[in-house]
Amino acid sequence: MVFPSREVAVVGVYTTEQAPTLDRSGFSLEIEAMTGALAEAGLTVADVDGIATTRMTSEVSGSYDPLYFWAEQMGQRPLRYLGSGLPAAALGKAATAIAAGMCETFVLVHGKSGTKINPAKAAMPTAAEQVGAWSERLYGASRAGWYAVWARRYMHEFGVTSEQLAQVAVDARHHATFNPNSIMGDRGEITVDDVMSSRTIASPLHLLDCALDNDGGYAVVLTTTERARDLKATPVTILGAGESIYIDYYLNLPSPLFPPEGGAVRKAADTAFGLAGVTHDDIDVAGLYDCFTVTLLRDLEEMGFCPLGEAAAYVKDGHTRLGGSMPTNTDGGCLSSSHNGHPGGMHVIEVVRQLRGTVTPGRQVPDAQLGVALSQGMSVMGGAGVLVLGVE
Amino acid sequence: MMAETWIRPVPVVTAESEVFYSGLKERRFLVPRCRSCDAYNWTPYPACRSCQSMDLEWVEVSGRGTIYTFTEIHVGARPFTTDGPYIWAFAQLEEGPRPLIVMGNLIGVGPEEIQIGMPVSIGYHDIPGHDLTMYHFEPTTDATSDGAEG
Repeated sequence: MVFPSREVAVVGVYTTEQAPTLDRSGFSLEIEAMTGALAEAGLTVADVDGIATTRMTSEVSGSYDPLYFWAEQMGQRPLRYLGSGLPAAALGKAATAIAAGMCETFVLVHGKSGTKINPAKAAMPTAAEQVGAWSERLYGASRAGWYAVWARRYMHEFGVTSEQLAQVAVDARHHATFNPNSIMGDRGEITVDDVMSSRTIASPLHLLDCALDNDGGYAVVLTTTERARDLKATPVTILGAGESIYIDYYLNLPSPLFPPEGGAVRKAADTAFGLAGVTHDDIDVAGLYDCFTVTLLRDLEEMGFCPLGEAAAYVKDGHTRLGGSMPTNTDGGCLSSSHNGHPGGMHVIEVVRQLRGTVTPGRQVPDAQLGVALSQGMSVMGGAGVLVLGVE
Repeated sequence: MMAETWIRPVPVVTAESEVFYSGLKERRFLVPRCRSCDAYNWTPYPACRSCQSMDLEWVEVSGRGTIYTFTEIHVGARPFTTDGPYIWAFAQLEEGPRPLIVMGNLIGVGPEEIQIGMPVSIGYHDIPGHDLTMYHFEPTTDATSDGAEG
């Protein structure tokens, strides 16, 4: 396979410990991940001139823009590129900035500790909290609830069953058993019956249809392919990228909910595949956002790996399982490895490690040369970032 | 279902939402409609999503619709689970042609009886201790409910 000439590569990745609860600050995870990813490349913080972060603010100064926090923390050296977007999209845009010469070395950093997505973990209020006039919270919405109503309608329109959703969780757990750093891998394999008999979180979704809700951090470093030749890790080239959003944050369901022409995920995927000059059949390994079992099914349809309504059969046929045509979420994904609040970067990192050939033998995809990562979320499929990656 | 003190979230009513919440007090469900292109715009937004006109008017809708999708939330926001699981649903109101799909809690029906497509109506309940009325969905009956259950 001959790749088109590309100028930017992933040269360092790092994942901290991922665990249900970590007795340390989110910042300590961020700084460990950043310095760790740079060290893997043979670089230091002094080399970085572009950055994106998942943190929301500078809690020291109160700045609404968290990148000012990092500019200060990294020694008041001028940063030249300020990134944004879901992790795969942030990396894709940073690659274009590097290729254009706006910066040379970019780091994406995430760390989260202490907060939980599950609203049941919050304290019982003693008085009515004031929220926005159109807030989902007026009606007790939860993230699981949003994905449950999406799953319910999806199952209704396309005749998909809970057992078919459950297969996604079964495959994720199978993959996690080969990943010693996954949270659920040491619990062993699960069956469709295990998923079906786990307690209901938000019908039709059971506990094992849902992502984990844990602490952890990660970082990814990019630089030019020219500079990458002198660095320590095997460079993984960025071949194409795409980003798209189309709906505000958990305000409405997208309407129509299942557009035949696709939504934001389709647009981002088409852009990324088009820029990379590759087709779906070329992809050896994938990391696709899987916050719930239904999410992966819709990812596969929206990205064009199978027609609308046919993802359950695609999964059932084993395409996405280790040994299949496109092993997907080989670390165990959000369902069985880690959902650390902004897990989109975890999917990128697993694909990078697969393409380097450095994961544990049980989950290594043989001769993997081309991979794709999807970061997604925001009102079920309201936002997407896609990255196509390759090694020579 | 009613606690002594209301502990579920309440809306901050501003100039942009005052007409809607005043409507609820009168048992009327008001939706912004664009005077330029006639499109309904739910959730209310600063300008029409179809043509970007800010010339919107609040119009009363029938409050009748059907369940578009729903979930019974077992593990959710704590002020909602005090009495067990609750139904969070989207109802497609009968007005159109662009789908007008509204979120809310469905009450007065057991979870095993709920189906996509079942007829529902918007009902209203006054919030104790607050100068506030909220809406909910309930199964459509011959006598449309206007009660204060909640």
